[in-house]
Amino acid sequence: MAVEATTGGRLESARSARVKEAFVGYGFVLVPMGVFLVFFIFPILYAVYISFHDWGVLGKVSTVGLDNYSLLLEDDLFWRAIKNTLYYTAGVVPVQVALGLFMAVIVNNAIRFRTFFRAAFYFPSLASSAAITAIAIYILNADGLVNAVTGSNQPWLGDSDTALESIMGLNAWTTSGTIMLFYLAALQAIPTDVYEAAAIDGAGAWRTFWKITFPLLKPGHFFVLVLSIIGSLKVFDQAFIVSGGSGGPNYSTLTAVVYLYQTAIQDVDFGYAAAMGVALFALIFTATLIQRLLFGKAEIS
Amino acid sequence: MKRRMRTVWLVAACALFASVLAGGAQSRSDVAAAPLAPDAVSGNIVLAHWASSPTETALLKQVIQSFERRYPRIQVTRRALDPYPDSMLAQFAARKPPDVFYVDSNVAPDWIKQGVLQPLNSYIARYKFNTKPFYPRLLSAFRDSKGRIYGFPKDWSPLAMQINTSMAARAGIRAPQTWAQLNTVADRLRATNAVPGGRPICLAADWARLLAFVYQNKGSFLNAAKTRATVNTVAVRRATEFYVGLLRRGLAGTPAQLGVGWCGEALGKEKAAIVFEGNWVLPFMAEQFTSVNFSNHPMPMGRQKGNLAFTVSYSMAKDSKNKNAAWVLLTYLTGKQGMRTWTSKGLALPSRSDVKPVAGRGPFLAAAPYARAWQFAPGFNRVMTVAGNELSAVFEEKQTIAGMLTKIQAEATATLRRGGR
Repeated sequence: MAVEATTGGRLESARSARVKEAFVGYGFVLVPMGVFLVFFIFPILYAVYISFHDWGVLGKVSTVGLDNYSLLLEDDLFWRAIKNTLYYTAGVVPVQVALGLFMAVIVNNAIRFRTFFRAAFYFPSLASSAAITAIAIYILNADGLVNAVTGSNQPWLGDSDTALESIMGLNAWTTSGTIMLFYLAALQAIPTDVYEAAAIDGAGAWRTFWKITFPLLKPGHFFVLVLSIIGSLKVFDQAFIVSGGSGGPNYSTLTAVVYLYQTAIQDVDFGYAAAMGVALFALIFTATLIQRLLFGKAEIS
Repeated sequence: MKRRMRTVWLVAACALFASVLAGGAQSRSDVAAAPLAPDAVSGNIVLAHWASSPTETALLKQVIQSFERRYPRIQVTRRALDPYPDSMLAQFAARKPPDVFYVDSNVAPDWIKQGVLQPLNSYIARYKFNTKPFYPRLLSAFRDSKGRIYGFPKDWSPLAMQINTSMAARAGIRAPQTWAQLNTVADRLRATNAVPGGRPICLAADWARLLAFVYQNKGSFLNAAKTRATVNTVAVRRATEFYVGLLRRGLAGTPAQLGVGWCGEALGKEKAAIVFEGNWVLPFMAEQFTSVNFSNHPMPMGRQKGNLAFTVSYSMAKDSKNKNAAWVLLTYLTGKQGMRTWTSKGLALPSRSDVKPVAGRGPFLAAAPYARAWQFAPGFNRVMTVAGNELSAVFEEKQTIAGMLTKIQAEATATLRRGGR
């Protein structure tokens, strides 16, 4: 009898301790979760709601159901913008990731002035993208710095053949610092005895990198690729500033978010812009899902 | 005794409640109430604007100070917003807009349609405000299709022709007055190499310049009632062919080709002898390129005189909490005294015929009878995006003029059909 009571009592106290622990846990999570719900989840759901209406600046004008989405399918400008955005992503992501990895490998070694190089490589990511773009406009001008050095007189940002490519180069350079940081963290997680074993086996620097380091970075690759692709699909600042908001010349810098911004602020058509936002979200989500399927099973063995 | 006290309290409470209601009703129905003399109006109001330059902001501060001296019971808080359209839209949506603010003629059709501007006709009638001195075409830029007024133009500028005087003297040319003369003059400038390292004319790849030439050729984007798009017409095509033709023959260059940001800079850096810019180029040249001498002339004539009017209004918010005070500020800023102070530095031209501009603005004012406001129909922003991009494609020889006009016409017709959605 006494034993049962004690067992029951211990079970009771164990359960109540778990419950109390759960309470404390949820209590801590409540505030940030609340902020997350109000400022992230709610606006997204509300935007989906708005996309089913004709929405002016003072609110709902009328309900239009799926009209906005069917308009979107027929909208030449929208598909132009998607094409530009995909082209931009396909160009920027490989360069960004390769550059970041290259810099991380350099900076991971015990070279002289390592701290300086780490800071220098990372610095462009810290500066405001708007400020960098404003300066880039002067540097890439027809009689700007780049042309003074190369001797050409090509208006890099004024020619539809080179405008988007110039922004791609600019963005690849600025964001590679952040990529470098992630790869650096992943590199430092690799135990050094792996390298020692490789050295004993007589592997050269290139083979060590390609056959050992690179595969061991798989979780790093996935993380970096996801971030890089999501960021590139959402490009706005550079394209907007460089074209003055027009998406030109000749639609070359019209990315998806630039077009969305034009529709919302200049056309004051929030319903249509919300539909565009939902479509873009679907695109990014699909891209991330695909990557998860391709890379998701990455485990270090 | 207790019941009597309770009744007394009940009656007192009802009386208090009724007076509060009446007071509230009084302040809400300021439209129905008798007009207050401007000197009797009091309150705090907010004036929102964009800051183009420190000189302009200082000038606006000056105007507001003289307003507050004249009407000491009204306090004005000045707010510079950047970026302007985004901030204004956010404030409209929050139903806490500034009381008085700038409205660019380009966005006026959309903002009127959105219902965020206060119609002013009842105030004009009540306060017997005389709108006749405003140049009619500028005032109509802020009317809706039914003729109701939503703002008063605070200033304006058309385009004019600026010619570098030393280059003109070197080539021995006089200011052209027709399209044919423009051709001849440009040919001569090139033949005499009067513009070393540049081109005779600077032409922007911008409908905000090309449209003036279209108007000179009796063309337009929309018909008078704004119900039909008239982009794909012979008149528009010929004007575009003339404009683009000057570029193709090497008589003109775009700012990008000349290595500058805009044609005003081309004039300053002497990369072009002839440019077409508005009044804003005068303070720009006076500040940055004082050594370059140039003269102003009216734009050349095509089949008729045509020009664009870039104008901005002061308007009142529909959701303003103190419309009487806003009205007093509005009429001061666009009245004779306020406008005289505002245009005294020559940064913009007065939109009233009873206010004289500073010296040397004759060629600009000459366009007042025929300049058309730079605006279209509601929802036309996307049409102008297409138009701008197609024009740059034509300049890069990646699109034909006919193809461009067809595309713009299609987009314009679709937008008009959607009712500006």
